[in-house]
Amino acid sequence: MSKILRLFVLMAAMIALVACSGGGKKVTRIESDSVTDLSGKWNDTDSRLVAEEMIQDCIARPWYNKLLNTKNGELPTVVIGSVRNKSHEHINVETFIKDMERALINSGKVDFVANAEERGELRAELASQSGNATEETRKEAGQEIGADLMLTGSLNSIVDQEGGEQVVFYQVDLQLVDIQTHKTVWIGDKKIKKYMSRSSVKM
Amino acid sequence: MKIHFSLLVLCSFVFIACSNKSMVRYDALSEPLKKDGFPGAISKVQEEKEDLYGDNTLFLYHFDLATLYHYNGDYKKSAAEFEKAKQVYEDLYTKSVTNEAASVVTNDNVRPYRARPFEILALYEMNIVNYLAMKDIDGALVEAKASDIALQALYQKDNDKTNDAGYLRYLIGLVYEMEGERDNAAIAYYKTAKAYAEEGMPLPEEAKAFIKNTLEKEGRADDLKSIGLANANAPMIVPMAAEAGNGEIVIIGYAGHSAILGEWMLSGTYVRGGVLNVMGKNPQTGKVDGLTIPFPATAVGSHGGTTFSVTIAIPERKDVPHVVEGFEVRIDEKRLPYKPEVYVDNTQQLVKNLKQERSTTLGRTAVRVITRTIAAQQAKKAMETDNIFLNLLTSIGTDVAAGQLEQADLRVALFLPHQVRMARVPAKPGTHTVKVLATNSYGGAVKEYTYTVNVKAGGKSVIVVPAIR
Repeated sequence: MSKILRLFVLMAAMIALVACSGGGKKVTRIESDSVTDLSGKWNDTDSRLVAEEMIQDCIARPWYNKLLNTKNGELPTVVIGSVRNKSHEHINVETFIKDMERALINSGKVDFVANAEERGELRAELASQSGNATEETRKEAGQEIGADLMLTGSLNSIVDQEGGEQVVFYQVDLQLVDIQTHKTVWIGDKKIKKYMSRSSVKM
Repeated sequence: MKIHFSLLVLCSFVFIACSNKSMVRYDALSEPLKKDGFPGAISKVQEEKEDLYGDNTLFLYHFDLATLYHYNGDYKKSAAEFEKAKQVYEDLYTKSVTNEAASVVTNDNVRPYRARPFEILALYEMNIVNYLAMKDIDGALVEAKASDIALQALYQKDNDKTNDAGYLRYLIGLVYEMEGERDNAAIAYYKTAKAYAEEGMPLPEEAKAFIKNTLEKEGRADDLKSIGLANANAPMIVPMAAEAGNGEIVIIGYAGHSAILGEWMLSGTYVRGGVLNVMGKNPQTGKVDGLTIPFPATAVGSHGGTTFSVTIAIPERKDVPHVVEGFEVRIDEKRLPYKPEVYVDNTQQLVKNLKQERSTTLGRTAVRVITRTIAAQQAKKAMETDNIFLNLLTSIGTDVAAGQLEQADLRVALFLPHQVRMARVPAKPGTHTVKVLATNSYGGAVKEYTYTVNVKAGGKSVIVVPAIR
């Protein structure tokens, strides 16, 4: 048998095995707060770290003590408004909002009220109680606590790419606005820059 | 010797089993589409994922499924499938040496399908419409930005083969307009006009009016001049009416079924050290056409002289029968209909792509077929015995195995519309009845679609007309 034929048969056999075989799958449980970066896209780690850092920065600024004094030591009440995704990725903003809510509540420095969507649901429940619950357990309407401040923001991104290399820059902007006066009491931003590279060839 | 031969035959059959799905895909799916509509086709695609698509064609599985969901009005599911298709496309950025080598000894179907440039554009176009139809402007904006990045990547990857995408740019402009970012809308519209010029396709009259209106209002007189729209005779009354305290109904109509790919089998001779002369019946024209491919002997390390019979298979346009060619739109039973203009012609896009790929496809096919033919000849020689009957059987077996391996890569999106047509109709705030009549090439009625649309002042309501029949 000629060398060409032997080589051809050998190549075909090897390729048949590789090309037509399926890959294995392995699942490993990891800590929910561990840092993971697989695709380079915005992920749970970014969401959690940005929310924690920004909320810590927010409540450490001078507006806090000033407002605390104005309210005679009573904790300011915050509501989270809209956080718009203006990036190039479909990001679940809800988890980011939840991360911020958790960071705010856990700080113990502010009171926190339900957002517009949750309020709608609560009001529907209240209305339902008025006709259905016993008088002793029925909750009264008009007893909601009005928020002092609203936290809103946006998530933006800039992408620079060339061949297999890509740099993604995320910027999260948040602002805290006094609901009564519409005065902005705090503006914060957090930037994340990610560099990704990928090879154009593999075996 | 027998072991080697068996191995060769075994490999051949394994490869054939891996690679012949594209031949049957359309035939298997067109029947349920015709009989049970989009839900029927969706079920069939899902049920026969492995048989019709397989691991190497995962992009098309998600793409076809997303397209069918889109037509069926399941915009959320469509967007989810398009995301999966995007992920597959991204993952395939890295090319596998083994897969590429495998395609040299068998055929291109063993390579993972990487999507044609116009399919990537169609993906983003339809996905933007998905979000607009769901009234999720933030989602549409994300898609608009992602598509801009994807376009840039396409340019960098296939600069010679990629033109800017006019319709996609126009949709991006529309999204920015809805978002209130008029400066970004103006840039996107400017790029729209440039893209149509680059493509050599006429810019729709209505688009001219909206582009001119936006660029004028944003003080971009120089840009207007540079794209030749400064003195254009466009129906300016349309964007002006849309802005005068009204809203818009944006009708996006998918007319007809885009061409797919058929196999063009060509047989002929290869003279070592010379050329490859092949002829065969073109699946599109039905005529016997020939191809002559110069192919030096050094390419496969052989020497000149001997003549071999060869058969090659290459992809060629194959039209899918369809009747819908246009639309007539009537709002609230008004007498004068709007006629949505053509923004994209997918069949043209496919033909252009085939033309661009032809020399590469032919080169790859020639190398593959000739290498295999020479290997088969040498195999026959090496396996020769004193038994004439056994020699004949071995010879036929080797030729059949080698011939069976030759298959064109016919993978392409199966459910793209022949044309995408669009109209932006100004409408007063409130609820409107929109009747869209799908028409054939003679203007005759094919099917009427009725929608109830709620329009807000300054808002845009998008409706999708899936007339791919």
